[in-house]
Amino acid sequence: MRTLVVALALSAVCLAGAPVGAQEGHPLKGSWIGTWAQNTVHGNDVLVVLDWNGKAVTGTINPGTDNLVVKNASLNPEGWMVHLEADAKDKAGAVITYVIDGKIENLAMHNRTITGTWKSQRGGGAFKITRQ
Amino acid sequence: MTTIQTRPRLAPLGALTLGVALLAVATATAHHSILAKFDDTKALTLKGIVTLVDWSNPHVHVFVNVKDAKGQVLNWAVELESPIDLKQNGWSQDTMRPGDAITVQGIAARNGSRQAWARSVVGATGRPVFTVTRTAPPAPLAPRPTPKFADGQPRLGAVPGASGYWAYPSATALVEDGVTVAMDPYGQLRNVADAGKVAPMQPWALALYASRQRRFLQDDPTYINCKPPGGPRQFQQPFGVQFVEDRERQRTFELIGGGNHNYRIIYSDGRGQTGQVGGDDDNPLYYGRAVGKWEGGTFVVDTRGFNEDFWFTNGGLPHTDQLQLIERFTRTDFDTLKYEVTVNDPAAYTRQWKASWTLRWVGGEELPVYFCQDNRP
Repeated sequence: MRTLVVALALSAVCLAGAPVGAQEGHPLKGSWIGTWAQNTVHGNDVLVVLDWNGKAVTGTINPGTDNLVVKNASLNPEGWMVHLEADAKDKAGAVITYVIDGKIENLAMHNRTITGTWKSQRGGGAFKITRQ
Repeated sequence: MTTIQTRPRLAPLGALTLGVALLAVATATAHHSILAKFDDTKALTLKGIVTLVDWSNPHVHVFVNVKDAKGQVLNWAVELESPIDLKQNGWSQDTMRPGDAITVQGIAARNGSRQAWARSVVGATGRPVFTVTRTAPPAPLAPRPTPKFADGQPRLGAVPGASGYWAYPSATALVEDGVTVAMDPYGQLRNVADAGKVAPMQPWALALYASRQRRFLQDDPTYINCKPPGGPRQFQQPFGVQFVEDRERQRTFELIGGGNHNYRIIYSDGRGQTGQVGGDDDNPLYYGRAVGKWEGGTFVVDTRGFNEDFWFTNGGLPHTDQLQLIERFTRTDFDTLKYEVTVNDPAAYTRQWKASWTLRWVGGEELPVYFCQDNRP
């Protein structure tokens, strides 16, 4: 029993020094899940898939359901500011443009977040997605 | 008898202290940056009684009961080099036993936990113990000729009946040829403002590299999760690499002594760089997909298909899944392997760039038995 206690204490002490995740590759690349609050057109929940081809950030919002193609996307490494735009249609078929501005937080973590705001012709609100 | 003494760094001595610290880590051989876990501005002295010696990879730990200023006994974990390094320097699990008095000079963990990296350990006899000096095998007085197969192709591995591996790289971090920047053996820049000199990075990659540097490389996946040291990093690890040439099947195995003790296969049978993993052809890999061919006395290896889940250098230079490496291996004499790498990653760098260094032959030995996953970071 004493050996088990020592071993557990040993592991706990030593593991305490290590961070829990790691960031690799381009900071925007990956699948992100979260919410765009008060979005009455496309719902509160949002899934964003982003990629980096070496020259531009590309991606899709809600792939498989809404399939909103990300355009005019950018990442400013000074402050890790993110800008995304995507065209969509409301329930009446009118074109609306989403503009999302946020900031990458916890850059070093695998499950980092983008926190900011979204807005369109139909409203706006808080935006937060977490990388999966 | 048992005390803790901490010594915050004095501002006027800052530069000197940093210099001493970098000198100290320059002799270390750990599998990750010491500064990732420990703060060299938090020097401390621990005097106490040993309660346990944990002789395990990747680092030996000595646990010590230390009495604090209030008289409370606290157990500290003192981290040392690997069992391999300690054993090669004549130390063993029995060098120190529970109940022994010990004095440790070291630096404290960044997270405030009761952990310390030992810069010196002195036992009850007053003599230093667990000291580690790692030096390359002495060079022969005259270069020995490159060993070759009967058809004249150089051997990257050992000759029949012998053993050996390549280690002691002349550079332990990836820096573009012709660039001089001050960094420690783990790729930690002495001045993060030099980040842009290291390689021709795109703005996002430079910012990310600088961020990793400012965090003292503590986000290194090899450190945190024992991820493989893919890319050029495999040739800059403390425990070397070993080549096994399977000419009959036109492939070369590379056994990697650092990280998680993994292996890589380089095919020379004319296949391409896809379709080598049945049913999972497009799955990007830590070591990519490598094909090689001999050009004169140089083995030229073209590798693509990397994933992004690892750091391909000790210092944390970013890469993407567009990374392509052209590696050139030239055994210039029996004891010297010249390694040259061209980095082509248009999603992270503004142009192709090159780096090169040499490795030394360690004859008469197999790769050290080192597994980072045996224990913990």
